Amino acid sequence: MSKTSSYQFPVSGQPTSAGPRLRRIALAGNPNSGKTTLFNALTGLRQKVANYPGVTVDKKTGRCKLPGVSPTGGIGGSGGGQAEWVEIIDLPGTYSLVSRSPDETVACEVLRGLREDTPPPDVVVVVVDASNLSRNLYLVSQVMELGLPMVVALTMTDVAERRGLRVMGEKLEARLGVPVVGLVGHKGTGIDRLKFRLTEARVAPLPELPLPGVFRDEIHLLGGVLTAVLGHGPGGSPDRHLATAERLLIGDSSSDLRPLHARPEILQNLADAKTRLATAGIEPVQADVEAHYRWIDAVSSEVTAAKIVPVDVTVSAGPTRRPAAAKTFTDKLDRILIDKVWGLVIFAAVMGLLFVSIFSLATPLMDATEGAVGWVGGLVAGLLPEGPVRDLWQDGIAAGVGAVLVFVPQIAILFGFLAILEDSGYLARAAFLMDRLLAKLGLSGKSFIPLLSSFACAIPGIMAARTIESPRQRFATIFVAPFMSCSARLPVYTLLIGTFFAAWGSFVQAGVMLCLYVLGIVAAAATAWVMKWWGGKDISGGFVLELPTYKLPQISQVARQMWSNTTQFITKAGTVIVCLSIVLWALMYYPRLPDDRAESVSLNAKITRIHSTGVTVTPEKLPTFLESDAGRTLRTAVDSAGRQAIAGEQLRHSLAGRFGHLIEPAIRPLGYDWKMGVGLVGAFAAREIFVSTLGIVYSVGNADDDTTPLRDAMLADRSADGSHVWTIPVAASLLVFFVIAMQCISTLAIVRRETGTWRWPIVMLLYMNGLAYLAALITYQILSKVMS
Amino acid sequence: MSETVETECRRLPEGNCPLSTLGVGCCGKVVSVDGDLELRRRLLEMGLCGGVTIECVRRAPLGDPIEFRVRGYLLSLRGEHARQVTVNPAV
Repeated sequence: MSKTSSYQFPVSGQPTSAGPRLRRIALAGNPNSGKTTLFNALTGLRQKVANYPGVTVDKKTGRCKLPGVSPTGGIGGSGGGQAEWVEIIDLPGTYSLVSRSPDETVACEVLRGLREDTPPPDVVVVVVDASNLSRNLYLVSQVMELGLPMVVALTMTDVAERRGLRVMGEKLEARLGVPVVGLVGHKGTGIDRLKFRLTEARVAPLPELPLPGVFRDEIHLLGGVLTAVLGHGPGGSPDRHLATAERLLIGDSSSDLRPLHARPEILQNLADAKTRLATAGIEPVQADVEAHYRWIDAVSSEVTAAKIVPVDVTVSAGPTRRPAAAKTFTDKLDRILIDKVWGLVIFAAVMGLLFVSIFSLATPLMDATEGAVGWVGGLVAGLLPEGPVRDLWQDGIAAGVGAVLVFVPQIAILFGFLAILEDSGYLARAAFLMDRLLAKLGLSGKSFIPLLSSFACAIPGIMAARTIESPRQRFATIFVAPFMSCSARLPVYTLLIGTFFAAWGSFVQAGVMLCLYVLGIVAAAATAWVMKWWGGKDISGGFVLELPTYKLPQISQVARQMWSNTTQFITKAGTVIVCLSIVLWALMYYPRLPDDRAESVSLNAKITRIHSTGVTVTPEKLPTFLESDAGRTLRTAVDSAGRQAIAGEQLRHSLAGRFGHLIEPAIRPLGYDWKMGVGLVGAFAAREIFVSTLGIVYSVGNADDDTTPLRDAMLADRSADGSHVWTIPVAASLLVFFVIAMQCISTLAIVRRETGTWRWPIVMLLYMNGLAYLAALITYQILSKVMS
Repeated sequence: MSETVETECRRLPEGNCPLSTLGVGCCGKVVSVDGDLELRRRLLEMGLCGGVTIECVRRAPLGDPIEFRVRGYLLSLRGEHARQVTVNPAV
């Protein structure tokens, strides 16, 4: 449904009556043009991040107070006009309104008023990077063709000046026909002036593009057809029809043009026009873009003054013969940072720093968070009466919330680091260095950091994949990130390696650990490669990357991004995780062990515990024994043994326990028994739970703190025929399983969020667990044959 | 896909060569952009059109991608995509 009726088409060049009707302002501009800095300066803390329905593009909106406009048109609060609030929407950075990345599609649709969830803006502010004038003016020319009231915000004039170029705002304003305001981003200069001039926003005159004569004729011809077919309705001025005709000829696939493609007369004339152009040797896209740039070059040379003309300055206007390379600060820094040798060394150092800070910096914070959650949990538990509600709170809700919050330090640190890398401009260099390696797998150079981060935790890693523009490369990155062995797998690795490979010494143990990491990487690489091969040629525009000028990241901006991403994680993934933790809790809690069973199990355990000290006590004599001197010293140990026994029996009795028994035949070929099955059920929520669940199953209490009792219990465990339950093939099989399997609800929740559908998390789950099953099966079968 | 790092421009008819063969430090004028529509449009819109001068600044340490300077900014392109751009190298 065309929404062009929401435009007004005043005579171009006249100011609109945009004063009192100024409600929505859109910020458009190239990536790295300083748009976000402007958005932050205008809206301060009054921002929010949402989602455009149907696409995984962030929708950033905020509010800003504009000074009032007096009835006489003067500016200022004393004139009697009301200062008013406007909504500002920060559109995704785009190079063009025609090329089709998801970001650009959204920006284009919002500006054309094609999105039902977002009404078109009243004014567009196009942010133009003065040090990059030509390319930025391309977007400006396209916005001018839209017919919306606009203002140009000229940023980075200081960077341009350092290169010896001065862009004259007044001349640009005269040339374009719209207000131009100069800004210096990090100083905040010009913001007030911009706010004033927003009320003077004007619809720009259409740029006079020097199109080839034949092309222009075809546009007029097709425009005439459109006028004849569509008539002069709202949005139907001849001017607009010409613009539409041009869009049709260059193959613009916007949704607003689709109704036109459905009209056979238009379709026929379009096809004929294209044929005629082809015969004349004119390729519409090239002709159109070249005409734009010829116009841009003309404007550029009019409004730019070279302050001095040193030999080593690049003048961006016009295709003249270039002098020697510019020695800007960015170039000097690049000489080191992307040098053949030093570039890689520094890169390794930076990545190492990232990795280390996620692990070691985060660990004390994570411990503190865990402690705090435990403390609060205990506090509330103390207020609740004994029984299911209290247990639900403590082991279900509090545990679930704790599981979410414990990630927060890692995620916050990672996002802080990423924001610094991105804002400074180094992220693009990192992608530049790594692209060769990753391209072969159908990934992007920008996939490196998400994948590296996934070694700490896949969740921030997957969220970091948003910097990847190509949807396919981004998707592949998200899909393989969980194969990177995350820190949650470490307790499992440590337990199994420590128990079964101890005899060979620490060197072998480290070697085995390394093999597990390598296995994860290999699985990821193989999966990515298969995805690339299956998907065929990637036509999404490949890896075209701008290397922006280096700049010092602003603390406030970094902090803002950290906050935004972290809160997104907590709200989106957090709710899913807490819900599923409760479900899992219920599976392990119900059905309840009958009291008499609990009593007898507890009694047996207590007697056994006492027996281990050499004393034999009968059940009737137990209470009196515990009153005696000898008994009193043992009391804590005895009580603990009793409780652990009950916990273990409860678990065996519960749905989770029965499920473990149920799946035992299926996991037998992998060497597992039902107890490991129960452990795997627990691990489905979060991998680290495997160890504590095993601890409960083996009735050795809290196995997280000290694994020795658990290890002993595992080694001592024998099955009905007397053979060991835990052997090296079993351990190896379990390790392989943990490397490959998808066992993290949190990750699935985040994948759902980042891909917008439950389909991919489910595919991931089935694929990874299927692959894990096979790999573990093969491992166990081969090893047990070899080692028997 | 292994690529030999080319330092000599392989000459096509009319003295043009693919952008991927432009030597480090050399420049040329963009003649045309071929290949599939999306990439073509993207490259054209980024300014690789109309005879603009493009300079090969450096190759990544692993050989790919290649960094170019065009219209005053730095652009990184994979060799396979740079091959789709034809330039007339400056003498």
